[in-house]
Amino acid sequence: MQRRVIFPQQGLPLLLLLPQLAVTLIFFFWPGAQAVYMSLLQQDAFGISVQFVGLDNFRAVFADEGYVEAFWRTMLFSAAVTVLAMVPALVLAVMADRVVKGATAYTTAMLVPYAIAPAVAGVLWFFMFSPSIGVLAWGMKSLGIPWNPVLDGSDAMWLVILASAWKQVAYNFLFFLAGLQSIPKSLLEAAAIDGAKPMRRFWTIIFPLLSPTTFFLLVVGLVYAFFDTFGVISAITQGGPATATETLVYKVYKDGVQNLDLGSSAAQSVILMAIVVGLTVLQFRFVERRVHYN
Amino acid sequence: MTLKKTLVSAALAIGALTGAVPALAQNRPVEIQMWMGLTGQGGELLSRFGEDFNKSQSEYRVVVSFKGQYPEQRAAAVAAFRAGNPPHIMQMFDAGSGDMMHAKGAVVPVSEVFKRAGLQFNAADFIPPARGYYGLPSGELLSMPFNVSTTVLFYNKDAFKKAGLDPEKPPQTWPQLIEAAKKIRSTNAAACGYTTTWLSWVMLEQFSSRHNVAFGTEGNGRGGVSASLQLANNPLLIKQVQTLVDMQKDKSFDYGGRSNDAAAKFISGECAMLTQSSGGLGAITQGAKFAFGTSGLPYWPEVKGAPFATTIGGASLWVFSAPNRTQAEFRGVAQFLNFLKSDRVMTEWAKTTGFLPATNSAFKAMQDEGFFTKNPGRDVPILSLISAAKGDNTNGYRFGRWTEIRDVYHEEVEKALQGNQSAADALRNAERRGNALLRAFERTAS
Repeated sequence: MQRRVIFPQQGLPLLLLLPQLAVTLIFFFWPGAQAVYMSLLQQDAFGISVQFVGLDNFRAVFADEGYVEAFWRTMLFSAAVTVLAMVPALVLAVMADRVVKGATAYTTAMLVPYAIAPAVAGVLWFFMFSPSIGVLAWGMKSLGIPWNPVLDGSDAMWLVILASAWKQVAYNFLFFLAGLQSIPKSLLEAAAIDGAKPMRRFWTIIFPLLSPTTFFLLVVGLVYAFFDTFGVISAITQGGPATATETLVYKVYKDGVQNLDLGSSAAQSVILMAIVVGLTVLQFRFVERRVHYN
Repeated sequence: MTLKKTLVSAALAIGALTGAVPALAQNRPVEIQMWMGLTGQGGELLSRFGEDFNKSQSEYRVVVSFKGQYPEQRAAAVAAFRAGNPPHIMQMFDAGSGDMMHAKGAVVPVSEVFKRAGLQFNAADFIPPARGYYGLPSGELLSMPFNVSTTVLFYNKDAFKKAGLDPEKPPQTWPQLIEAAKKIRSTNAAACGYTTTWLSWVMLEQFSSRHNVAFGTEGNGRGGVSASLQLANNPLLIKQVQTLVDMQKDKSFDYGGRSNDAAAKFISGECAMLTQSSGGLGAITQGAKFAFGTSGLPYWPEVKGAPFATTIGGASLWVFSAPNRTQAEFRGVAQFLNFLKSDRVMTEWAKTTGFLPATNSAFKAMQDEGFFTKNPGRDVPILSLISAAKGDNTNGYRFGRWTEIRDVYHEEVEKALQGNQSAADALRNAERRGNALLRAFERTAS
């Protein structure tokens, strides 16, 4: 049975919704519409000559063999970033949930990376792993591990994946911890009395009850990896070596902001939007079925 | 006092007050915004020139600000132009020149700026390579050359000694450089023999000029926007990429990244030789804990007439136009540019940074006081840029979207260095992808 609160008139609810609607319209729909409009134009960098070119920008994007490669690369990158940001976050959250003394200090320390701007995080990782001057690169060298992200594509890919995931671990950690704390202790105690060991308690009680959080973080994590990682890539590899770390969103950034080719960049961002909407729909259709909401 | 008198004096007082507001505004100096793409020593000095100019007069106030490296700064300036409020003066690097030159309506040629302000301006005052690079065939200068540089070879004398090489005899040709690099590796005098900054600028643009080889049609794009790249059927360019690929295998060459990053490999002592902008001298002097020397960009001796002159690098100053710009602002811009090209400023700039003096008179002033003889190595870029032999293909190039094409070249050559494609394929792909960009540029260029 569902209880519904019905407002006597339509005016008040609309008024209350207005700020949120305005934010959505101004910051999401308007730029979205702008991107679609720009994707149909071709213009010089200064916007002095603008011409309508129909779908030419899209044709050019799909005709570029590098674009399809970038698509698969982005899939790999996003999957790796999402998983590497979620698994350690869950492990850390489970550990933090059991800490009794100094829990706040520990939790706060865990959150610090999230407060660091992507570009700063990128520069940090760039220096740590720079083959000539990096502390960690030097450590790896002395252990005999070959490491050269300047020329080796997979080294570079690992570097941007780790740097991107590292930032997101803090965010995921916070949500997992909140999720863990909302699981009734009585359930776990009952299971413990029935003789369930910690691992079994985790997999049969905690993990299923955490699934709404996990699902939410999966969606947010993929969106982060798809859209928000160009700052890290820009600071560490600029998409290189060759095109080893050029993801779709980095291409959008590079073509739009650096190369000032707004038509192509807008077309790419429209395609990217469609991909992410599609992925999110898929997730809601197939993954959400396995989620238990209390 | 009658009521009438009171009213009159009140009216006068109000009149005086309101009148005072525009009067105050008139006394405030006209503000001139200049954006630069330099940090460190060069950036500090350029900011100080702005302050010096402000102290020298009270009509204008110049604000010099750093808005990111050249590409980021360009993006910011374009966004500001679109919003109707670009900086008055922008420092733009060599590779961005092609785009700026075709942005008619966005920029005002410097010759024109001086003329409007009634200031004397003679394009012939600037050193010939700079004049040729930033000017029109009519002799009119589009932007004012400021930090002029060219490619030079820096080498670590201590590492040379350690490897049993003569530290006073830097390699002049590529075969000599390869031999020295191999020796440095085999004696383990350094972890890598040679590296380079700015791969495309050095290995494509400067390299071609050094051998008087064209890498594009229509006089390397100087003839118009319909020009194309010619890289695929260019045996010398292929040979050069192949040389780097071969050297990378035993670290006699070690790739150090796209822009300026490789300079750190030289300064830290990891690589014993570096091709770099002569403007990079300041950072090397400050950072290197070893004796180093300077030499010209190497060449292949079998090329007839080589070595030819290298071409220009660095940046020039562009003047933006905007609907709301006043004549007073343009006068201020002209005054400040005039200040920057004065001998006093130019010589201090060149001496401190390692860039070349952009004007003939500053060059002569430095020669007269014996600066180049007193500072060995500082004449190398001059010799390479001005005194060396000229040919049809040593006047620089002018292509639109060049920053992007540079990255295409970087990507393809990196793939070759990784061993994922041949040197010939790298240049074939770079040509194809670069020409696609040039055609797109042609479509939007007016």
